Amino acid sequence: MKIPRIPDAQLDLLAERLAAVGVGRRDFLKVAAGLTAMGAAGFNARPAAAAPKLRPGEKLAKDQHFRYGGGGWYQNDPSSHDFNKDLYCSGVSELWAGLMKFNADFQPVLHVAEKVTANKDGSLWTFAIRKDSKFSDGSPCSARDFEWSWKRQMDPASANPYSSYFYDIKGAEAFNKKQAPDASQVGVVAKDDWTLEVTLEGPRGYFPVLSAYLAALPAHKGSVEKYGDKWTEAGNLVCNGPFVLETWEHNKVMVLRKNKHFFGAKDVTLDRVTIPIIPGASGALPYENNELDMTSLGTGDLKRLQSNPKTVEEVFRYPFPGTWYLTPQVTKPPFDNVKVRRAVGHAIDRANVIKVAQGFAIPAHSMIPPGFPGATDDPKIKAIQAFDPKAAVAMLKGTPYEGGRNWPKIVLSMRDEAYGSKPLAEAVQAVLLEHLNMKTDLEVLEQRVFRERLWKHDLQFVWIRWFMDYPDPHNEYFDTFYGKKTSGKRQAWVNDAFDKELEQGRDTRDVKKRMTHYAKAEELMQADGGYVPVAWVVRYAAAKSSVRGLEKNRQGEYVVDGNIYVDMLPHVYMVDKA
Amino acid sequence: MLQYIASRVLWLVPTIGAMALVTFLVMHATPGSPLDPVAEGANPLSPEAQKNLAAIYGLDKPLPQQFLIFLGKAVRGDFGKSFVYKTRTVMEILVETFPISLLLGSMALALAIAGGLALGILAAVYQNRMWDYVSVSLATVGVAIPNFVLAVFFIILFSFVIPLFPTGGWDSPRNWVLPTVTLALAPMGIIARFTRASMLEVIRADYTLTARAKGLGERPVIFKHALKNAFIPVVTLLGPMFAAVGTGSFFVESIFRVPGMGRFFVLSMTGRDYPMIMAVVLTYGAFLAVMNLVVDLLYGALDPRIRY
Amino acid sequence: MALSTPASGTDAGALAAAAARPTVRGTSLWRDGVRRLLRNRLAMAGGVVIVLLCLIAIFADVLAPLPYTKTNFGRLNEPPSHDYPLGTDALGRDMFSRMIYGARVSMLVGLGAQVIVVLIGVPIGALSGFLGGRVDLALTRFVDVMYAFPRLLFVILVMSMLGAGLLNIFIAIGLTGWVGIARQTRAQVLAIKEKEFVDAARALGVGFGRLLTRHVLPNALTPIVVSVTFGIPEAIFTEAALSFIGVGINPPTPSWGQMVGEGQQYIRSYWHLCVFPSIAIAITMLSFTFFGDGVRDALDPKMK
Repeated sequence: MKIPRIPDAQLDLLAERLAAVGVGRRDFLKVAAGLTAMGAAGFNARPAAAAPKLRPGEKLAKDQHFRYGGGGWYQNDPSSHDFNKDLYCSGVSELWAGLMKFNADFQPVLHVAEKVTANKDGSLWTFAIRKDSKFSDGSPCSARDFEWSWKRQMDPASANPYSSYFYDIKGAEAFNKKQAPDASQVGVVAKDDWTLEVTLEGPRGYFPVLSAYLAALPAHKGSVEKYGDKWTEAGNLVCNGPFVLETWEHNKVMVLRKNKHFFGAKDVTLDRVTIPIIPGASGALPYENNELDMTSLGTGDLKRLQSNPKTVEEVFRYPFPGTWYLTPQVTKPPFDNVKVRRAVGHAIDRANVIKVAQGFAIPAHSMIPPGFPGATDDPKIKAIQAFDPKAAVAMLKGTPYEGGRNWPKIVLSMRDEAYGSKPLAEAVQAVLLEHLNMKTDLEVLEQRVFRERLWKHDLQFVWIRWFMDYPDPHNEYFDTFYGKKTSGKRQAWVNDAFDKELEQGRDTRDVKKRMTHYAKAEELMQADGGYVPVAWVVRYAAAKSSVRGLEKNRQGEYVVDGNIYVDMLPHVYMVDKA
Repeated sequence: MLQYIASRVLWLVPTIGAMALVTFLVMHATPGSPLDPVAEGANPLSPEAQKNLAAIYGLDKPLPQQFLIFLGKAVRGDFGKSFVYKTRTVMEILVETFPISLLLGSMALALAIAGGLALGILAAVYQNRMWDYVSVSLATVGVAIPNFVLAVFFIILFSFVIPLFPTGGWDSPRNWVLPTVTLALAPMGIIARFTRASMLEVIRADYTLTARAKGLGERPVIFKHALKNAFIPVVTLLGPMFAAVGTGSFFVESIFRVPGMGRFFVLSMTGRDYPMIMAVVLTYGAFLAVMNLVVDLLYGALDPRIRY
Repeated sequence: MALSTPASGTDAGALAAAAARPTVRGTSLWRDGVRRLLRNRLAMAGGVVIVLLCLIAIFADVLAPLPYTKTNFGRLNEPPSHDYPLGTDALGRDMFSRMIYGARVSMLVGLGAQVIVVLIGVPIGALSGFLGGRVDLALTRFVDVMYAFPRLLFVILVMSMLGAGLLNIFIAIGLTGWVGIARQTRAQVLAIKEKEFVDAARALGVGFGRLLTRHVLPNALTPIVVSVTFGIPEAIFTEAALSFIGVGINPPTPSWGQMVGEGQQYIRSYWHLCVFPSIAIAITMLSFTFFGDGVRDALDPKMK
C-alpha cells in the first residue's frame, strides 16, 4: 500500500476536522506520513500480543480483578458510554474497539481492521475487517455495523455535537446539515460483511488516523433501536471491545467483565475491573485503605506517599504534558506596555514558585515541556524571562511605573482547580509583590465563568494552563496563540511576525526546519511579552505492587488512559507472591 | 382539620410556583453557559454546534416562554433531561438518589433525636453543674466543627487507626455507620440544646411543681410529666431539620461516596445543569412543606391546647 | 407552610424562637437579665472569648508577628516550631499570623452577614406584623417562599451570580439568611401590638413610625439579639463551606473557613493546616452558643 504525500489543502481540512473535536492533527499526520516508508508492513501489522511478564517469585493472581479510580479519575458519573454519539461522554472507552487504535506513543495501529488500502490519490479507503470481529453477544461486528454507526454519527436526528468530525466523508456534511434527504448519498458503504469502503470528498491521506480516534468507535444497532438513550446502561449494552459492562450503579460504581467474544480476548488477562465513582475530596484515602489498586494522586497525598518507604515504589509519574503561564492582557494597563510584561517575566522566581505545587510542577522557560517535540533549550530564549530581580526593575525604567510605583489596580484571574493551581497563583502574587512591588488581587472564577470572560478578553491578568492534546508544537502555539483564530482565542495579544512563523511551521514538511520556525515563534512571543511561562505540569499516580503490565512510551514513562491512548486495561494484569 | 390540611396543600402550589420563578430568574442571570462541555479538557463546541444544542435544550426561546414550557412539563412531573448526565432524565436521577439520601437522613435523624434528647435531659436535670457543662459541650462539638472536617477525621480514626469501616461507599450497613454519625452530630447538638431549654422551662412549670408536691419522685416527674411536655417544642424543629438532612448533605455524601441526592445541591449549580437545579430546589421545597405539615399535625396531636 | 407553627426555622431561628414566646416585661427586666447573665459562668466565658476575638480581629495588624502574605519558600508546610508557633502553610506563610488575620475576616463575615440579615429581616417582619392585613399576607407568603429554598444551593447560586469575594459573601449569606429573623420579628410584633401600652401610645397620638421604632421594636429585641448571636457562627460556617466548594473568599486573604477548606485535603500529610483553624472555628462556635444560650436564659423571665 502506498500513501501519497499529503498536500497542504488536505492538511487544512484535517485541521478543521480535528479542531471540531478539540484534537490537533500534527502527530496523526506525522504518523500518516511515516507510514509511506513503513508501507504495508507498518500499517497492516497486527499489534503484538501482550503476554504477562512475571518476575521471579511471582505468579499471576488467581483473581484477575483490577480496581482503579480516584484522585480525579472518574470523579463524576459518565453521561453514557456512547462515544459514537458524544465523544466526551466520559464513559469507559475499553468497552469498544475501533477500526484502528493508538499505541502508547500515540501512533495508530490496526485493531478491528486487519488491512487498510487506498486508491491512488487517497480519496477512497477500504478497510478489511477481521472475520473474528464480534459483539459481546456473539454476533458479528461487521462492516455493516461500522457503516451504520458512522452514519448515525452524521445523522442530524442523533444531534451529535461533534458530527463535523466526519465531514471528510462524501455527502456527510450535506446529510448532517439536512441538505440531503437521507444517508443514501453518504460515502460509507459496506461492500460485503467484511469490507468497508469509504469515499471521501477528495484526497485525504490522513483518513486512517481519523478512524483511530474515539469519535470513530462503533455503536450497536440492535441495542440503540431497542433501548434508545438507555442503550449504554448495564444489561442493555452490547459492545465490541475487550470488556463488557457488567454493572453500572449510577454515581457509585461500574464493573467491567472480560468480553469473551472480543477478537483479542486471549491477550486480555484481567477478568474484572471495578471503577468506583470517587469525588476528588476523598484524595488517596480509598487507595491507602486498599479499596483501590491504582489511583491518580493530588497535591494532598503525593509527598507523603513518596516519603513513606512502604509506598514510595508505588508512585509513578505519567505524561500529562501541560504548561502554567501568565497572560498579561495587552489591551489593559499596565500590561499595554511591553516593558511591564517583560519585567513580569524577569520577576517570576520560578525555582521558588514551583515549590508550593508539592511536586506537581517544574520551572518552565517556554511552552513545550522537555522531552516533547519542539522543546527548546536555547539560552537566548531562556534569557528573555530568566529570573533576575534587577533586570525586572530595570525594565520599568522610563515607564510610568518606574521603581515599582504607580501601579493601577491589578486583578489576577484564574479558574477554580485542583493540582496546586491556587498555591502556584498565590506564589506568583508573592514574587511579583516582592520584586516589582506589584500588588495583585487574585480572583478565583468558576470554570464556566472563567472561560466565558477569557474568550471575551475581559480579564486583565490571567493565570492559566494549557494541557497538550498531542505532542506537536502546532498544538502548543497555533491552537493557543495564533492571532487569526476566530473562536476560542485566549488573549488579545496579536503579533504578525509570530503568526507568520506558525503558518510556516504548519506548512513545512522538514522536521528540523519546522522546529526552527517554532523556536523563532517562541522567541518572538516572549520578546513581545505575549505570555510569561511559569511552570510545566507534572502528574502522578500510584499503583499497588500487584499491578503489572502498564505500557511505557518511548520516553520510558508509564502511560495511563487519556483521550488518545485508551488501551490500558487490556494490558494490565495482577500478580501475587508465588 | 381536613380543611386546614387542604388549605395548606393548596398554598403549596403558589409557593412552589414562586420558588420556581425565583430560581429560574437567578439561574439564568448567573454568568457561565450550560452549553460548555462537561468533561475536563473537553474543547468548546463550535458556535454552530452550540446553536444546535441550545435549540435541543430549548434555550434559544425567550425566557418567559422557556419558563412556561418548564411549568407545563413540571406539572406533569417531567423536569426534562439533565444537561450533564445527558441520557438520563432528572426524574430518573432523583428517583434513584433521593431514597438513598432519605435513608441516610432518617438514620441520622433517629440517632440525633435519641442522642440529643439524652444529652438535653441530662443537661437540664443537672443545670449549671458538671453534667450540664459536659453534655452541652459534647452536644456543641458536633455543631462546632465543620462536617467535612469531622468526616475526614472519622475516616482517619475508624478506617486507619482502628480499621473498622471502609473509607466510603454504600454497599452494606458497614458503609452506613460513618456517614450516619457524621451527619447526625450537628442536628444532635441542636436537639440537645433545644431539649435542655424546654426541659428547664417545664421543670419550673406549675404542673411539674404540683407533681413534685404530690410527692412523686424525681424520676417519674422527669419522665412522665416533664419529658412529654418538653418534647413538644422539639417536635417543631424536626420538620426543617428532616428536610435538610433527608435530602442529603453535599459534604457528607461526597466524602463518604454516598450515591445520594446531596451532591446535586452543589454539582447542579457548578455544572449549570438547569433542569437539575430546578428539580432539586423544588423537591427540597415540597419536601420541606410536607414535613412542616406533618410536624404541625403531630404538634396538634401532642398538645391538646392547639386546635386547627 | 403557614406561620402558625410557633417555631420552625433554621438552627439559629429555632433556638432563638425558644426565646420568642411573648412575655410581659417590666423596666427592671434588662437589669435583671444582665445580673443573671453575669451569674452564668458558661455564658460569661463565652462572652469573654467573643470580646477577645473581637480585639484580635481589630488589632490583627499589631498582634500578628508577620504579614499574612509573607512567604518563605524555604520552609513550606512546616509543623509548629519555635519560629512558627502554629507552623507554616503551603506557601511558607506563618499560620499563627494568618490565624489572627483570619479572625478578622471570619468575624467580619459573621457580623457583616448578620447586619444584612437584620437590615432585611427585621423591617420585613416588623412591617408584616404591625400592618397586618394584605401587606402581612403578601409578605408572609414571600417569606414562606424564601424559607423553602435549600440554603446551600441558594447561597452558591447567589455567589455564582455575584462572583467570589468578601463583600459578596456578606450579601449571599445575608440574602438567604434573613427569613428566620423576619418570622420571629413578625411573631413578636404581633404579640406586642396587642399589649395595652401600645394601645395607650396610639391613643396618645403617637405616629406610626415612632410607634413602631420606639415602642414595639425595642420590646421585640430579645429574640433578635439571640438570633444574631446564633447567626454569626452560622455565617462563619457557611463561609467555610463555600471555601470548601471553591466559591468563597479570594486568596491570599485568610479566613478560617478557607484555611479549613484548603487544609482538609492535607490532613494526613500536614495536620496543622486543618486542625488549628478548625479549633478556632469550634471555639468561636462554642463561645457564641454559650453566650447566646445565656442571653436567652437571662432575658426569659420565666427562667428564674
